[in-house]
Amino acid sequence: MIIDSHTHVDMVESWGWMDPPELIISLMDEAGIAQSIVMTYRDATRPDDPATLYVKESVDKYPQRLVGYVRINPNASGAGDALDQAIGDFKMKGLKLHPVSYVGFPYGEATLRLMRHAARYNAPVLFHTGDESLALPEEVVEAAKLVPEAMVILGHMGGYYHFDAVLEYAQFPNVVVDTSAIPYPWMIRKAVDAYGPARVLYASDGPGCLPALEVEKVHLAGLTPEEEQMVFSGNIQRIMDGVKHRISG
Amino acid sequence: MIFDFRVFVGQSFDGTMQAAGDLLHRMDNLGIEMALVAPFRPLVYNLDQANASLATVVKIVWDRLIAAARIDPWQPTALDTLRRAADTHGMQALFLHPWEETFRIDLPRIDPLMAFAEERKLPVLVMSGFPWLSEALQVRKLAARWPAVPIVMSNGGQINISGLGQADATLALAACPNLYIDTAGIYRQDFIEETVEAFGAERVLFGSGAPYFDQRYEIKRVQVAKVREEQRELMLGGNAKRLLGL
Repeated sequence: MIIDSHTHVDMVESWGWMDPPELIISLMDEAGIAQSIVMTYRDATRPDDPATLYVKESVDKYPQRLVGYVRINPNASGAGDALDQAIGDFKMKGLKLHPVSYVGFPYGEATLRLMRHAARYNAPVLFHTGDESLALPEEVVEAAKLVPEAMVILGHMGGYYHFDAVLEYAQFPNVVVDTSAIPYPWMIRKAVDAYGPARVLYASDGPGCLPALEVEKVHLAGLTPEEEQMVFSGNIQRIMDGVKHRISG
Repeated sequence: MIFDFRVFVGQSFDGTMQAAGDLLHRMDNLGIEMALVAPFRPLVYNLDQANASLATVVKIVWDRLIAAARIDPWQPTALDTLRRAADTHGMQALFLHPWEETFRIDLPRIDPLMAFAEERKLPVLVMSGFPWLSEALQVRKLAARWPAVPIVMSNGGQINISGLGQADATLALAACPNLYIDTAGIYRQDFIEETVEAFGAERVLFGSGAPYFDQRYEIKRVQVAKVREEQRELMLGGNAKRLLGL
């Protein structure tokens, strides 16, 4: 079974990114993917934010196939309440942060506060990481060090040119990596060796990245069948099962 | 015919290496008939020597590999090196790596090399998308100065994993009909498909960037692209043959 831990649904006319849930569902079918975690391109700023509601509607429409992550701008005054609604009320399973889109340092206090809040739900925090400032693995791992109780997923494993740094950060037990977009099958093998097979998650970043091709990338990485099973579904299933939807206090 | 428009042979200063025999074996397995091959930047920094070594290898397998001359425009002898590469070694393309040789691709000192490329009808392959040095709009400036020279931007013209360079790459392709892209590492299929739709399959060439990128995986980007079969054939080999005058 394959669970895709990082995909998108959203309708952002101004950017020309029109990705209804039906698009990712069709690509999942093409790739033999049972379930996908979906998130928007927009950052929510408050409860009932249209971005969060779009994820909710998508999941409600395809409850067997889609699971939601909420994407939030931590600098917004309603960020904490938006997280509470998404995970507490809408049963979403994680928090997505894209520091480039909201222009915020990963180790800034607003982000750290939201990460601590997510950690109380035991919800993972998926960061976009890449080659640009605000999303460098060094910056994101700085946040992971400051909030060790939060599980931090390095989306895209740092992009094109940060593989050595990403491998180095396996030393931090709360850091996990996803396989999406990074163009090197060999990096998945190295990540499994460095992080252990329990801390590497299959992800496509579809629909932009073709899920079928992203699955093929994992197959080319030379993993054992047991490692593939963990990367393709076991690990993310374990993470989702651990998310609490109610916190005390 | 499948033609890989960008591979490297030899040994790089960074330890990466690829022997011609290994490359050819993999090409056989993947059904890749020919490739354009450039030298790595060697630890002993002598590109003249690297070009000559590569040419020696390519002469043995001339029916499979075509050599590109790697030139550092900072060297006062750059033009002589290129001339020697073309005239003595039979190299058929110019390869520029602004990141490893550290130069802005729009520098005027590149113009003599471009004039030679125009005179000899050599396509120019530029490692593109590198910040400060070879962003797509910087490559566009070079392409605008040399409209008769085909210039191929590596990696689709951008290497930002957020795709933030894609708009610039599109703008550059729209402005300069002599600009092309290779497909290595283009992590989003829609970037390939939309480029084909907007500018025609004639502007897109399969290039793997091996061994930095995995040739087995890179070829699939073109093989699974949602394009018409005749467009795929152009991308897989037709365009390379046309640009190299084969």
